[in-house]
Amino acid sequence: MENIEKKMREEARRLLEEKRVDVLIGYEAGTLPLTATPCFITAPEEAERLVWNRFCNHNLAKYVHDVISQHRNSQKRVKPEDRKKKVVGVVARGCTTRSIVIHLQERQYGRDEVVIIGVPCTGYADRRKVSQALGGEAVLEGALEGDVIRAVTEGGEKKIAVADVLADNCRTCRFNNPIISDVMAGEAAPPMNPEAEYDEVTAFENLPIEERWAYFVKEMGKCIRCYACRQACPSCYCPVCFVEQSRPAWVGISDDPSDTQVFQIMRLYHMVGRCVDCGSCVSVCPMGVDLRKFLKKLDKDAFELFQNRAGSSLEDLPPLSRHRENDNEDFIYHPEIGGHNT
Amino acid sequence: MEKRLIKKEALAGIAKRIAEDVTVYAPVRVEENVLFKVLEKGEEPLFTYQNSKNAPKNFFFPRSEVMLRYTRTPKGVEFTAEELFARDGVLMGARPCDARSFVLLDMLFDQEKYKDPYYIEKRNRTTVVSLACAKPPYRECFCTSVGGHPVDDKGADVLITDIGDVFLVEFVTPKGEKLLKYFGDQKADAASEEKKAAVAAAAEAALTWKIATHEVKEKLDRNFNSPFWDGIHKKCLACGTCTFLCPTCHCFDISDEMKYDDGRRLRNWDSCMFPLFTKETSGHNPRPTQKERWRQRVMHKFSYYPENFGAIACVGCGRCVQSCPVNIDIRKIVAEAMELA
Repeated sequence: MENIEKKMREEARRLLEEKRVDVLIGYEAGTLPLTATPCFITAPEEAERLVWNRFCNHNLAKYVHDVISQHRNSQKRVKPEDRKKKVVGVVARGCTTRSIVIHLQERQYGRDEVVIIGVPCTGYADRRKVSQALGGEAVLEGALEGDVIRAVTEGGEKKIAVADVLADNCRTCRFNNPIISDVMAGEAAPPMNPEAEYDEVTAFENLPIEERWAYFVKEMGKCIRCYACRQACPSCYCPVCFVEQSRPAWVGISDDPSDTQVFQIMRLYHMVGRCVDCGSCVSVCPMGVDLRKFLKKLDKDAFELFQNRAGSSLEDLPPLSRHRENDNEDFIYHPEIGGHNT
Repeated sequence: MEKRLIKKEALAGIAKRIAEDVTVYAPVRVEENVLFKVLEKGEEPLFTYQNSKNAPKNFFFPRSEVMLRYTRTPKGVEFTAEELFARDGVLMGARPCDARSFVLLDMLFDQEKYKDPYYIEKRNRTTVVSLACAKPPYRECFCTSVGGHPVDDKGADVLITDIGDVFLVEFVTPKGEKLLKYFGDQKADAASEEKKAAVAAAAEAALTWKIATHEVKEKLDRNFNSPFWDGIHKKCLACGTCTFLCPTCHCFDISDEMKYDDGRRLRNWDSCMFPLFTKETSGHNPRPTQKERWRQRVMHKFSYYPENFGAIACVGCGRCVQSCPVNIDIRKIVAEAMELA
């Protein structure tokens, strides 16, 4: 991992020196122990700030979209011949590149507007699992030593194997190496455990419908409507979200449980064939809502019904962006025989 | 002031006994989170927690609150005032920072000129039992930097301090004294006072992060248009985590909801991090981007509130530091603002 970090910094520095990018989005150390946080650098010497470690959990494609769309908006009042292009560099693991692929397929920006420093990924640590492993005690000091997290708490020093606290989406990740990149910071990483990708969803599908509904109601009951999930999601880029629309108001803004459920259901269904399972929505949620269970179900449906894995190739268009005459449509007229569990 | 000593393990039982008589709000472990909630029968309150995920402001200033109802009739619209939600309650085990947040919220909701009956009614009928932070440091909090203290009774009616083998219970206000009957009859001696003073001194010393935040106002006021504000918001997701978990954030938005002929007017929490914040009907927003919204958040807490009420609108609980998904650290922002000209 140190080698990847070194290579990543070199590439970042070079891109900035050669002015191939206007801004580079990566990760830097956070202000709390055992954290990393997104950062934006514009000068070559700032490349030393960049880190690549097990705490780099955010999908930075979200920021690529933000920066480019904000820049494009700022150019609207500029004469066409005077408009400037802004090129964004980004440190991207497998899931981040999948989100970029989705952005490209959905024509959010051009391939020439983004320069990708691809990083092979072996998964990130889930901050909740780390906290649980420490019995909820606050981390006073912490460091990463190889694949072991060393944390000092009130109760003394503890060592946690990274493998034991990997985020759920990382454990069964199918695309931990970048799908597309301009430069690579390191050799391809060994595969994770994609065979188990849908195990949890399959188990959930097999529960009686009442239990599934009860689980949904329980999980959404935790939601405080802070919208961190939506804000962190690279696929949630609508200029105005339906939640913020008032004519008509699709969903109430109070804490009525049905409004929360409607918000979440509508957001989830906007993710069909567009969720790359980066785990960002889960990792940012302050209340620990299990969004992944439902997203993974939609992902499984998109694969089983349309043989599509979101963002897994530039050529394979997402199911909602293409039309095929032989598209599976049985499930619309005969949901009970549609080939997937109802 | 009445002072009692109780066995540490007795506190949960006391909370449950009070809950038989009035509503008790207490920290409860719900899956992975410790949350302040109404203590239901059979539920176990948790008094060994560091701090709760959510701030207890919800009990006085709910996430959503009906202000009035109305019905469309052939004769016109009929309005019905919402009965003030009123039940006697005890908030058990609030940390001193959270208890202090009520003093700050009172300044706004219970002013001489403007009185908010919805807030005041709930506040008046609730007794705050505070649990001192005998054992900081928590990595994220910084109460002493914003005028608080880990063993502080501001905003508390009763203050409980862990003095080693027992809890010292101090009944700070007459409202608090009404709870005397639940806390046994072992009076506190002078030795326990000394122990409390030692605990308080050790707790204060253990807090690592210290900065003179009251001096930052002047810097902020001078730098409203500084490029300083161009950097902070960049990685901000514009979610409401910091403001919704904050014990002092109190911005709200009033909206009407109608179903057929019946409507209700609701007051909901708003957040300066949201794009709709201060957006006007015309579509214009004086705070059009996250930059202005972040400036508002910092200025509101460290400049406007001190100007209007003479107090910083931050109690240093550290929830925003701990829960910000992208680690935007208010302590760092204030420290950097101190460096401005």
